[in-house]
Amino acid sequence: MITWKRIKLENFSFPKIYDYKKEFIRLEEELPLGIRLDKIYDTVDKTKINWLNTSEGNGLGKEFISFVNEFYNSGVSLYLERNSLIEKPIVVEFNMDKENPTVVDKNIIVAEPNSQATIVFDYSTDEGVEAFHNGFTEIHAGENSSLTIIKVQRMNDISQNFDTNIAYVKGEGKVNWITAELGSQISGSNFTTFLDEVASESNLSSIYLGDGHRKMDLSYSMIHKGPRSISNIESRGALMDNAKKVFRGNLDFKRGSRLAKGGEEEYVLLLDPTVKSDSIPALLCEEDDVQGEHAASAGQINENQLFYLMSRGLSEREAKKLIIEGAFRPVIDRIPLEELKQIIDSEIERRLVNA
Amino acid sequence: MARELLNIKGLKVNIDDKEILKGLDLNINKGEIHIIMGPNGSGKSTLAYTLMGHPKYEITDGTIEFDGELINEMKADERAKKGIFLSFQYPEEIPGVTVEDFLRTAKTSVTGKMQGIMAFKKLLKEKMDLLEMKEEYASRYLNLGFSGGEKKKNEILQMSILEPKLAILDETDSGLDVDAIRIVAEGVKRIKDESRSILVITHYNKLLDYLEPDYIHILLDGKIVKTGGMELAKEIDEEGYENIKLRYSHI
Repeated sequence: MITWKRIKLENFSFPKIYDYKKEFIRLEEELPLGIRLDKIYDTVDKTKINWLNTSEGNGLGKEFISFVNEFYNSGVSLYLERNSLIEKPIVVEFNMDKENPTVVDKNIIVAEPNSQATIVFDYSTDEGVEAFHNGFTEIHAGENSSLTIIKVQRMNDISQNFDTNIAYVKGEGKVNWITAELGSQISGSNFTTFLDEVASESNLSSIYLGDGHRKMDLSYSMIHKGPRSISNIESRGALMDNAKKVFRGNLDFKRGSRLAKGGEEEYVLLLDPTVKSDSIPALLCEEDDVQGEHAASAGQINENQLFYLMSRGLSEREAKKLIIEGAFRPVIDRIPLEELKQIIDSEIERRLVNA
Repeated sequence: MARELLNIKGLKVNIDDKEILKGLDLNINKGEIHIIMGPNGSGKSTLAYTLMGHPKYEITDGTIEFDGELINEMKADERAKKGIFLSFQYPEEIPGVTVEDFLRTAKTSVTGKMQGIMAFKKLLKEKMDLLEMKEEYASRYLNLGFSGGEKKKNEILQMSILEPKLAILDETDSGLDVDAIRIVAEGVKRIKDESRSILVITHYNKLLDYLEPDYIHILLDGKIVKTGGMELAKEIDEEGYENIKLRYSHI
């Protein structure tokens, strides 16, 4: 039994996990040479993945990670050879339905030096299905590699979502995270990036939407070990109805991270007085010569802005939706997939306008 | 067809329990241009906001009828759909929302018809050309970083896209240079026809020379104290509000 105070999760125990029988890898064209993409259970010994067994980083907690390692029913392994490149994003999509209500996905991505790829993970549910997701994604970004990982979570309001993401980045390697948290009843998500070597870099852009009775625990950490390593966290959120959210952003400068630079910024729009929003930015330094900046701010939708938009014929909900989308825009614009932007837009619309 | 578009009777309005409009009467027929002039603090902007339905402005007495329907209780978006438009004195900035996306959404709401992207682009370009606005404005965030004059032009652009039955211009001429005033005035005249009316609220008479109004009203202390033609504007121009107050405040 797990008790998680921050999101008032008490006496939690993992549900029964069923097989996930649907196809979850979507490929529109053949992968170029040097790139291997497999279902995780087909992989284990076949690939050249030999960097595993890294035990640093706890993500959402040992219970959640070891549960994935033991009971995973889906997930991918992606191996990018040196100098390989995928132009089109790889899309991995999980749609939880009556026959496949649980997804426990284990994903491993290994990018050898100078390789480059974008991978999208999309988690959705059918209406009325009480779904469960617990995932663990592990990334190894080699020297001068560049990975963009996009996670969209748009599960329904009676489902639970837990997701741990850990990346290890080598010299001048780069991991860009983009996360959109738009659904589920309870959601815990963790992104931890180890910037291990010289000029390792990571950017995390996040948007989140809390409506109904959603409880969210968002935790983003950048662990600087390499000199001149660079990180940036930008989070934009909106909370309404009775939603609760805890945001923790950690910039951790370890000994040896001389001249490293990290920044984090969170901005949340509070649409109703009944929401609860906690933001806990933390800056930890073992090294003197580093630069860390953090800012968290909350704003309310201003009555005059709302009136201005409504005077042009928009209903109150439409006007709020426009203001929220405007606040999310800088992050949404970073998504390199038109189709995914539209999915996100229509999910926000569905939650705000049709509610 | 009834000629009457707007009929206000005995309108009293409070903001935070302070009475600002104190029994205002006003009639506007279809196809007319009316000007309301008055010194600062007389209630001009209150009238504009009240007509558009700002929730902070509380109607304590009187009636507003628009196109034959009582609109006292209507929300701003319902009024917009009925054909009322307010050009704001201080337009709001909306980050992340482009002028084009916003206007297409607004046009869809007001007309109840989906606006095709390409057709709307064409319409927008046409209207922007008339207002001598550069094309790049369409993709800029709404009013963000716009100069005072650009914001006002953007209001007129919105008006010309939404084609309201009654356009209320609240101090639209303030902050505009001579050229901009001419362009704005032409934009306003272009929308006016036999069925559309204009209500200009101002404390100067800069727009007047271009607009050829049908009526000029003087607003003092929450009431319209005098209605006339162009000669009233001249009277204000020559004598100033202080003398006007002395002459009419007993009414």
